Amino acid sequence: MNIRKLAWKNLFRRKSRAVFMGLGIFLGIGTFVALASLTAQMEQAVQDKLDRFGANILITPRTEQLSLGFGDISLGGTQVAHSRLTTADEKAIRGIEMKERLRSVVPFFLAAADASGKNLVWMGVPAMEIVAARPWWKISGSPIREKGEVLLGSEVSAALDKGPGGTVVSGGRTFLVTGVLHPTGEKEDGMIIASIGEVRSLAGNFRGVTFFEVAALCKDCPVEEIVAQIGDALPGARVSAIRQVVESRKAAVDQFRRLGLGVSAIVLAIGGLMVFVTVMGSVQERTKEIGVLRAVGFRRRAILSLLFWETGWVSLLSSVSGAFIGVAAAMLAAPLFGVEKAEAAFSPALLGVAIGIVLGLLGTVPPARRAAALSPTEAIRSL
Amino acid sequence: MDAFIQMENVSMLYGNNGVRAAALRGIYLSIDAGEYVVITGESGAGKSTLLTILGGLQVPSSGAVLIKGVDLSSLSADRLADFRRETIGFIFQAYHLLPYLTARENIMVPMSPLRTSAREKAERAESLLASVGLSGKEERLPSELSGGECQRVAIARALVHDPSVLLADEPTGNLDSTTGEQILDLFSRLHKAGKTVLMVTHNRANLFRATREIRLRDGKVAEVDG
Ligand SMILES: Nc1ncnc2c1ncn2[C@@H]1O[C@H](COP(=O)(O)OP(=O)(O)O)[C@@H](O)[C@H]1O
Ligand SMILES: [Mg+2]
Repeated sequence: MNIRKLAWKNLFRRKSRAVFMGLGIFLGIGTFVALASLTAQMEQAVQDKLDRFGANILITPRTEQLSLGFGDISLGGTQVAHSRLTTADEKAIRGIEMKERLRSVVPFFLAAADASGKNLVWMGVPAMEIVAARPWWKISGSPIREKGEVLLGSEVSAALDKGPGGTVVSGGRTFLVTGVLHPTGEKEDGMIIASIGEVRSLAGNFRGVTFFEVAALCKDCPVEEIVAQIGDALPGARVSAIRQVVESRKAAVDQFRRLGLGVSAIVLAIGGLMVFVTVMGSVQERTKEIGVLRAVGFRRRAILSLLFWETGWVSLLSSVSGAFIGVAAAMLAAPLFGVEKAEAAFSPALLGVAIGIVLGLLGTVPPARRAAALSPTEAIRSL
Repeated sequence: MDAFIQMENVSMLYGNNGVRAAALRGIYLSIDAGEYVVITGESGAGKSTLLTILGGLQVPSSGAVLIKGVDLSSLSADRLADFRRETIGFIFQAYHLLPYLTARENIMVPMSPLRTSAREKAERAESLLASVGLSGKEERLPSELSGGECQRVAIARALVHDPSVLLADEPTGNLDSTTGEQILDLFSRLHKAGKTVLMVTHNRANLFRATREIRLRDGKVAEVDG
């Protein structure tokens, strides 16, 4: 028998005490890990949601004096003259080094064309991309799905006096109005939205792109990097990050991260205290035994190492299981907190285990020192 | 040549600030190697205090304790622990075995800080158990042993490091008289084998085994009877 074995025997034979001490550590660390990994997941979820919220990079032709809005586009005659971007550019964009970060690349094509006798701006977008590219649009009726269908901006709807189910005639063709946009306050209120192929054929330009909107996944937000790479891929284009989007996204995520840190810190303080108190209590309980060990010739260091082994084992086992349960609980609870695909977060678990062990050992020191400082007689007399 | 065990003007005050009760008042004592000393006295006379001070389990308020010429008060805490381990075997009235360890393991406890192999430790424990008449009960927990058997285990534990001095504080106090006699026989045997024995006892019938009686009264040596 050596000190380590003595420690192990003590734990094993005094199971209920060991379990009680372990339970304190288990609960403290479990709660910490659960909350820390839940906040980490929620942070990720907020991040994901923000990433889904529209584009954050805009690609326009460099040579034209275009502002980011639509209003300054000079629309001469029936055709947009400056369409220097083409469908081929999409391939170049999707070929950049950080292409995995690109969630969507959506081409837009704007053209002026007749609509039931009025000259209006038509916005062409791939029909399937509309919901992803403009998630904030509210539509009375339904979005376009097929050729020959259009959405009307709210002002257009009023000017043409048309609503869902009505028709618009252009270039000798008849388009079915499937829906009307609620006012957005943007230029599209005065536009007709149709599938990009339809607008191109009205304009007689079959490969034109007015601008691309790119949505980049923004974890750690290397937007500048992505912008630079797209710029390299398309030397003729002006690539700009929509700074406002990036910044506000960062701000929201940061805010959430701070909240998560605050919650974790509080829980950690409480959990740490629990670990500390239970370990202290269980060492204190053994004062008499410590006295006996001192009486048979244990040096103080032998007492300390005995207690360290004991609390070391307990805190290791209970913090590992606490961390495990904490991660599992966070996974189970995640859907309740709006996390769609829960992923195990391991860094809070590792941190939790480390903290559990350190606190367990720290909690051993004061009562162990006190017990070792007593004379063996006093220790044996204590109850 | 100094005596084997010597106490010079040893006093012990218990309690701090406020009422300080004197448990020992100016004790002078000198015991030779190989003596079997019985310490008697009323309850509260200071017998346990005297024994624990001799065993280095606590430090007197004043005075000097010398064992084999070494002043215990000059020893650091670690050296005092070493002294207890190497020189003193302490036997308590209440045995003070670790309840969660078997008889063999309890005897191995004092050896656990040592680097000796587990096998050697176990063999030592088993031969000690045999010498106190407990062969075959190595795996019993204290709760599975009688009081007399527990005290035998405690004596075996005290003998682990082959100490020259055995200090026993009412070792038969919790035992019936027959069992107590057997324990006292064991002490007589150890004394004959060369140990210096100091035993606190209430039972004057024990006296015939001893070479000397020291009687305490109110923290003083009342009477020394050779
Ligand atoms: N730890 C202690 N604190 C205060 N008083 C004590 C302590 N230990 C013993 N005493 C007192 O010292 C006196 C001697 O005690 P003790 O040595 O145990 O006597 P005995 O063993 O002869 O019965 C008693 O009056 C007892 O109450
Ligand atoms: Mg006593």
